[in-house]
Amino acid sequence: MQNDDFSGQKLQWLHSEQLFLSLAEQMKLPLMQILKQAELGSLLDRTNEHLSQVGVNADVALKLIDGYLLSMRLAAEETYNVEQEPVSLSSVLYDAAHQLHPIAKLYGVNLELSLGGKYGPVTAHREGLQSALVSLGYALIEALPASDAPQMRLELAAHRCRYGIVAGLYADVDRLTAEALRQGKHLLGDTRQPLPGLSHSGGAGVFVADAILNAIGAKLKVSHHNRRSGLGTVLQSNPQMQLI
Amino acid sequence: MAQILLIEPDAVLAKAYMQAFEHEGHATRLTVSAQDGVFKVDEQIPDVVIVELQLVAHSGIEFLYELRSYAEWQYVPVVIHSCIPPAEFMDSMKLLRDRLGVTVYLYKPQTSLRMLLRAVKEAIAVPALQAS
Repeated sequence: MQNDDFSGQKLQWLHSEQLFLSLAEQMKLPLMQILKQAELGSLLDRTNEHLSQVGVNADVALKLIDGYLLSMRLAAEETYNVEQEPVSLSSVLYDAAHQLHPIAKLYGVNLELSLGGKYGPVTAHREGLQSALVSLGYALIEALPASDAPQMRLELAAHRCRYGIVAGLYADVDRLTAEALRQGKHLLGDTRQPLPGLSHSGGAGVFVADAILNAIGAKLKVSHHNRRSGLGTVLQSNPQMQLI
Repeated sequence: MAQILLIEPDAVLAKAYMQAFEHEGHATRLTVSAQDGVFKVDEQIPDVVIVELQLVAHSGIEFLYELRSYAEWQYVPVVIHSCIPPAEFMDSMKLLRDRLGVTVYLYKPQTSLRMLLRAVKEAIAVPALQAS
């Protein structure tokens, strides 16, 4: 039994180290962007517009690191039960869209918020859910303009499925399959580009989201909505709140 | 003024590079994929190709093999400008230089815009010297 515990801990440690490596690799990109825009500002003698972009990129870097730290903290709290609470899904999606808006604008991606239908409160860890959606958003926004046939629309949406209510991000990405996601998770830490069909970079936002969702007892799934593929998580309605 | 073909998957970096090239008086065509890069070369042979190796689907190396498989594109100067450290290609440098005709390998995180502009200038100058 003790041996099993040790193996489990070792596996978790290995996994977090791989995740960190992936994140560190990913961090090169926003940091390079910061550098290039600052350089360009001095080259062209125009500073204001470029400096605002510098701020957006720095924000992305900080939020990804923050998401990683949150996943680690939540995973450590697992033994004490991560506090689940009744959460307004529309408010989480709205806040996530608000955070993703500047980077979507920078990449020329049209971010749409879709809240068709009425959803009562869901049971979730609010901070974790929002951070996971934002991390996913960063990964997809960065990947979309680099795809072969750029689809510059990204939908942040909630919809019902037979297992509950799905919150996720959707685009016309035909290479985003459950198998690609499974393989990506398997390759995490072993390769620089674990999701080659989706992203030209490390795609760390996807794995940070996966780690956060795992830590709050949810799962990252490939999902479909309005004939689009995407990534999301299934949430359950909060029965207590529905009685009120 | 040079015709540059930039194969760069990141939209934000691409915009910065294109503005810098434009500032230097160069005309730049941008693509995000290896496949489209080949089509763009076919449309108009550029004076220099700047390529990232880490792309979605086909890699930059695959692009180079495709490019060099056509006789008329043998001498198009190529600058690799990549996030992959050149140390990982130490064993393949000879192949990159001799067989795939790579003029210079620049490690993106350590290459300033000015260094990139200088590399473009030099890459364009080399075939001109060869021709003369």
